[in-house]
Amino acid sequence: MLIKEENLDIACLWAHDIRFKNKIMKKIVLTLIIGLLTTMGVTAQKSMDKFMVQVDGLGCPFCAYGLEKKFKEFKGIKDVKIDIETGDFSFNYPAEKELTMDAVLAQVEKAGYTPITSKIERANGTVEDSEDQKIVLNDKDLISKEVFVAGNCEQCRARIEKAAKRVKGVGTASWNVDSKILLVNYDPNHTSMENIQKSIANAGHDTQAHQAKDQVYSKLPKCCHYERVDQ
Amino acid sequence: MREWINKAVIGSLLLGLIVASCARSEKPKEWVYQKNILLDGVNPIGIANNDNELWLSDGDHNRLVSIDGDGAILKAIDSLDRPMHIAVSEGTLFIPQYGNDKIETYDAKGRFELSVKDSLDAPAAVAVYGMEKAIADFYNNRILYHDGQNWISFGHEGSHEGEFYYPTDVQITDSLIWVADAYNNRVQAFDKQGNFVKMMGQDQKMNAATGIFISDTEVFVTDFENDRILIFDHLGSLKQELTRSIAKATDLLIKDDLLHIINYRTGELVIYEQQEIALK
Repeated sequence: MLIKEENLDIACLWAHDIRFKNKIMKKIVLTLIIGLLTTMGVTAQKSMDKFMVQVDGLGCPFCAYGLEKKFKEFKGIKDVKIDIETGDFSFNYPAEKELTMDAVLAQVEKAGYTPITSKIERANGTVEDSEDQKIVLNDKDLISKEVFVAGNCEQCRARIEKAAKRVKGVGTASWNVDSKILLVNYDPNHTSMENIQKSIANAGHDTQAHQAKDQVYSKLPKCCHYERVDQ
Repeated sequence: MREWINKAVIGSLLLGLIVASCARSEKPKEWVYQKNILLDGVNPIGIANNDNELWLSDGDHNRLVSIDGDGAILKAIDSLDRPMHIAVSEGTLFIPQYGNDKIETYDAKGRFELSVKDSLDAPAAVAVYGMEKAIADFYNNRILYHDGQNWISFGHEGSHEGEFYYPTDVQITDSLIWVADAYNNRVQAFDKQGNFVKMMGQDQKMNAATGIFISDTEVFVTDFENDRILIFDHLGSLKQELTRSIAKATDLLIKDDLLHIINYRTGELVIYEQQEIALK
């Protein structure tokens, strides 16, 4: 069969149109697939609860890997991160398993370490924070004071500062590992140096005015066993 | 004849004096900082020398790497689970894996699991000496020792002689088993039946004695938190303290008469050499 030139042009145009439509269809399908996968990814991400715990007693990689090892018992745990210096320990866990903070803290203690603070960011948007009860402080009401606190290392620093900040009315606290001096900003309307030192002694560190109880001191990690201060 | 004997006696005495004076003239030596070698993306925990090839366990990245003299990675063994203080014997690498409680071997034939009679909880170190093997069993606070035929176990949690508070390294020598008793901040030595023999470093205010190396004359200890290396003689007398460029050191060894120290935090290999002490 002979095809006229005019018909050939029409046939070519028709074929070109089909190819063009196919291309557009492919693009649409591809976009839909990518969109679907992205949505699934976001959903998967959203279905994880994020746990953040500050842990006392992590001195070296042996301790950090040890904590990680003990948490392997939690099947489904993801994105485990441990900072040896600060003791910050975080991980993600499937939201549908409804893991409680109590269970996490118990596991930290089972591994041989002491949890200091804890926070959960749930997949549904709710946040559970052990430090939520803090009061709002006004900068102009804060005063600065220094006090001697006994300690050895970076772990001691984390513990001392946490113990000071835990006191309602304390704004900031910073302990120097070399000078052993704690610089604290606090609102005297809410607390006193006496209370702050008591809190630190309760955490296991001798201060200028308060000595930690022997049983608390003895439970500190070996690396934190500083020389006791005579009162 | 008598004269000849007298001459011989005098000659011998002179020779003896010369030899003695030569021996006396050997000057004392100390370890002196030489250089730092940056390890690209490696946070080393253990170090071993396999026929002049340095191997490092990179616990953070679950692998072992071998490096050249500039710290560049030559080879890697991946898919490990927190490898710690490694050892080498006759071309075979012994890799304790803290995360899965297994000891793996690696040689030209491949990777195999070492059969250990007892269950481990976080093996932190393995040592090999001929047919003998020892494992520092971290969470069980004990040492497992194999004399070539049988396994024995010694130690438990505590701070008295023969007890451990998280042992992190072990080395076998001709007559002793040496242990880095990390959180008792000391080194302990035992005989091959597991009996306590001696300890050292307990009076040096160490803070986490994480790694040891025993040479013919010296005991080297990494004082992790205090960023220093302590060097003792075999009787426990402190000979030297190294601090320059030491940052959270975890292990060390002597290769080609140079002390190789690994810094976990900064990812560095630090080299010290021995020099004669200048007499004043």
